[in-house]
Amino acid sequence: MSAADQAARFGSGQAVRRIEDPALLRGQGRYTDDISLPGQLHLAFHRSAHAHAVIRSIDVAAAAAMPGVRAVYTGADLVAAGVQSIPGPAGFPRPDGSPAASAPRHALAHDRVRFVGEPMVAVVADSVDAARAAADAVWVDYEELPAIVDPFAAMQPGAPVLCDAAPDNIAAEMRHGSAEATAIAFARAAHTVTVDIDNQRLAPSPIEPRCVLAWVDTTDGRLNLRLSSQMPTGVRGSVAAALPGLTPEQVRVQVGDVGGGFGMKTGIYPEDLAVAHAARSLGQPVKWRAERLEEFLSAVHGRDVVSRGELALDADGRVLALRVHGVANVGAYATGTGVAIQVLIGPWVQTSIYDIPTVDFRFTAVMTNTATAGAYRGAGRPEAIYITERLMDAAARRLKLDPAELRRRNMIRPEQMPYKNPMGQTYDSGRFEQILDQGLSLADWSGYAARHEASRQRGKLRGRGIATFLEWTGGNVFEERVTVHVSADGFIELGSATQAMGQGIATSYAQLAVDVFGVPIERIRILQGDTDRVNGFGSAGSRSLFTGGSAVSVAATRTVDKARDLAASALEAPAKDLEYEAGRFRVAGTDLGIGLFELAARQPEAAIQVDSTSSVGGPTWPNGCHICEVELDPDTGEVTLVAYASVNDIGRVISPAIVRGQIEGGAVQGIGQALCERVAYDRDTGQLQSASFMDYALPHADGFRDFKTAFDTSIPCKTNALGVKGVGELGTIGATPAVVNAVIDALDAAGLGAAAEAIQMPVTAERVWRALTLREMDPSPYRS
Amino acid sequence: MSTLRLQVNGQTRQVDADASTLLVDLLRGPLALTGTHVGCDTAQCGACTVLVDGQAVKSCNLLAVQVEGKAITTVEGLAPPGQTHPLQQAFMDCHGLQCGFCTPGMLMTAACLLSRTPRPSDDQIAHALEGNLCRCTGYVNIVAAVKQASVAMAGAAK
Repeated sequence: MSAADQAARFGSGQAVRRIEDPALLRGQGRYTDDISLPGQLHLAFHRSAHAHAVIRSIDVAAAAAMPGVRAVYTGADLVAAGVQSIPGPAGFPRPDGSPAASAPRHALAHDRVRFVGEPMVAVVADSVDAARAAADAVWVDYEELPAIVDPFAAMQPGAPVLCDAAPDNIAAEMRHGSAEATAIAFARAAHTVTVDIDNQRLAPSPIEPRCVLAWVDTTDGRLNLRLSSQMPTGVRGSVAAALPGLTPEQVRVQVGDVGGGFGMKTGIYPEDLAVAHAARSLGQPVKWRAERLEEFLSAVHGRDVVSRGELALDADGRVLALRVHGVANVGAYATGTGVAIQVLIGPWVQTSIYDIPTVDFRFTAVMTNTATAGAYRGAGRPEAIYITERLMDAAARRLKLDPAELRRRNMIRPEQMPYKNPMGQTYDSGRFEQILDQGLSLADWSGYAARHEASRQRGKLRGRGIATFLEWTGGNVFEERVTVHVSADGFIELGSATQAMGQGIATSYAQLAVDVFGVPIERIRILQGDTDRVNGFGSAGSRSLFTGGSAVSVAATRTVDKARDLAASALEAPAKDLEYEAGRFRVAGTDLGIGLFELAARQPEAAIQVDSTSSVGGPTWPNGCHICEVELDPDTGEVTLVAYASVNDIGRVISPAIVRGQIEGGAVQGIGQALCERVAYDRDTGQLQSASFMDYALPHADGFRDFKTAFDTSIPCKTNALGVKGVGELGTIGATPAVVNAVIDALDAAGLGAAAEAIQMPVTAERVWRALTLREMDPSPYRS
Repeated sequence: MSTLRLQVNGQTRQVDADASTLLVDLLRGPLALTGTHVGCDTAQCGACTVLVDGQAVKSCNLLAVQVEGKAITTVEGLAPPGQTHPLQQAFMDCHGLQCGFCTPGMLMTAACLLSRTPRPSDDQIAHALEGNLCRCTGYVNIVAAVKQASVAMAGAAK
């Protein structure tokens, strides 16, 4: 097959079958728990039964005496052994100007516990059953303290304090924009609207629980960790920093298949350190696999911010100013990620695709006796966009304008690109009205009245909701290293520190490599998840394709360039006379040539190797128009999605099937937030009430699946050579406001009017039924 | 500890198991069939689904001793060695998996459905898969894949 044929069939833009799939479909995946080592021991945790308590004493004697138990570790043991706590948030201020604060997040709780399920004691035994039984036999004498799970109450004087450096429980707070200018704009405005929003706490819930296998390599004494992580290099650094006497070079982190990440697997967990410590001190491999209960209790949660959003508009519906105050519950231990998401990353996109001149933002991150909050798909952008899109609908309702028209009047125009928003973020590209128009067409916006009437005749209350929005992607780390190894046996291996977790990134990279090398896709192998091979930021914030993919493309080109020079000497011809096509160099106009792999075989190391580092110019700003229609059952309050259309600008598309899967699978997560998911803690005791999949409602297969999904590929990103924009989080961000706006529209049409805007997520049947039948709305979650 | 005799993917196996050993742990441990996954250990997610005498069951909720003498099929035995089952092919064709962790359970549940209902409707497929959670795909392409496999298998059976 010619190079052109290879590219046409397997290169970028083609819907190829994923190279990941055959092994996964045969049960030959290599998830962490699929690996077992000789002599492997098993670890189980004894976790806090209380949300807030002083640990008076821990009696491990009974546990240690149980059959098969090899070791028992308490928090005090780990502190005595020199294990450091995980660093808290740095670089953010508190309201009084002091640095951001958090209680130390120990590998195992020491002196005090601050949330239900916090790991306290680690038991290592010969079998999982023995470890769990012994963990249950640990006896803790607690002195219970009052617990607080509500962030507004936590800020009140006299509230229980989690961290002495933050007597008001505020971990950090940031203000952006101008309060004065915004106040003036509101005073002058023809219209103002306000929405109070509870962006509820969510459990990311990848189906693969966390799992860690640690061992010390007997040949070189290095600590090895195999775990399910999106950021192997970050884990390596954190482990080396926390455990005594280790440099990063003395730690190797390997990641095999990852059974979903969604941001939850981005950083070090206390449990990881406990497992690593046990393996080092026992000199045997130690494995811990979380039970689902442990995931609900102690894996990071996402969202959880209560906001008041206010919009000032002129008589024509032009937005004059936006004011937002958000109070985020970042959990018992504030982390840099958890704080940044709420006080910085969300605000970056708060004005979204609208040309809003004046803003006044205040975001407060508060600690409570709940699990640590961290990254979950979207991480700050869903919260921000939800506020803005709810405000746009509220404003349209107030001005009696079509919600699409109100949005259109406020959109940043193409000629304003590059556009710097009030947070100083620069959008390189975007044609938001063009996306809107396609979205309206795909959703048959103008034909809605007939569908509404048809629903009415079936006894259903129909509503429609729209969200036009953008998001930021990238983690603001733009440099990526890629190693290339062209071997004599006919394979090209590309190594990247970005990390596969189900998003099909290996296939997309292979397609990009086919574009350059022109060899069959079966000749490409993608290496990830080994800090002994490649290091970097990892995969988060929808960054892999535009940073890692761009770096793959550059590295592949550099490899062909290097090979050209090698071919020139092999063929004794000037490099400029060589043509490269389909894995072969040929002297132009002759039959003289040499294959890439044959050339590799002739090298002293029997390979052509390139170590390439390259950068892209900035973040990407994917955007879209998502339109949803729902039907409400007036008898039961049940919400049924009946239509969902989206047009998405993710720049150039490398893998059409994969990006469609990202948008639609992501949208179902956003629908889950809108309609069914919620982490619930008892307000008095801090006990977790949603601790299983029976209590925490994930979307099931019998939910909505009839998506109409389109891409406008005519607006390439200008800051990377591929022209691609991130895609992983876009669907999740757009779906939540589109669905809730549709529900509110239906309630409005059913006679509730603007009062419907008080409904909160998840929009359960009960909430809708109360609204429709009793005219009973949720009280405002916001308290100033 | 007792010795169990059972059929696993068509082969007779004898294996020692405690009275308290779960089927999933027997499969993943002594039998080294790690394609069957543990996602929730409480029979809610379905990642551990296998066939017991042709019936899809959640193997985290069954004691190993309960399957004495029965025929177990795991994802490793869905297709004969070297072959691809129409369901596996359809999941590939339709992009019916992303991270792949729930996939073995989806495949086994779907195999059970198609053995009983060779030409299911979309609603029947979705209903059958209701006890299997997927966090990646939104189920769109999973249902489409099962549909495609049902067509392929019905065509092959003619």
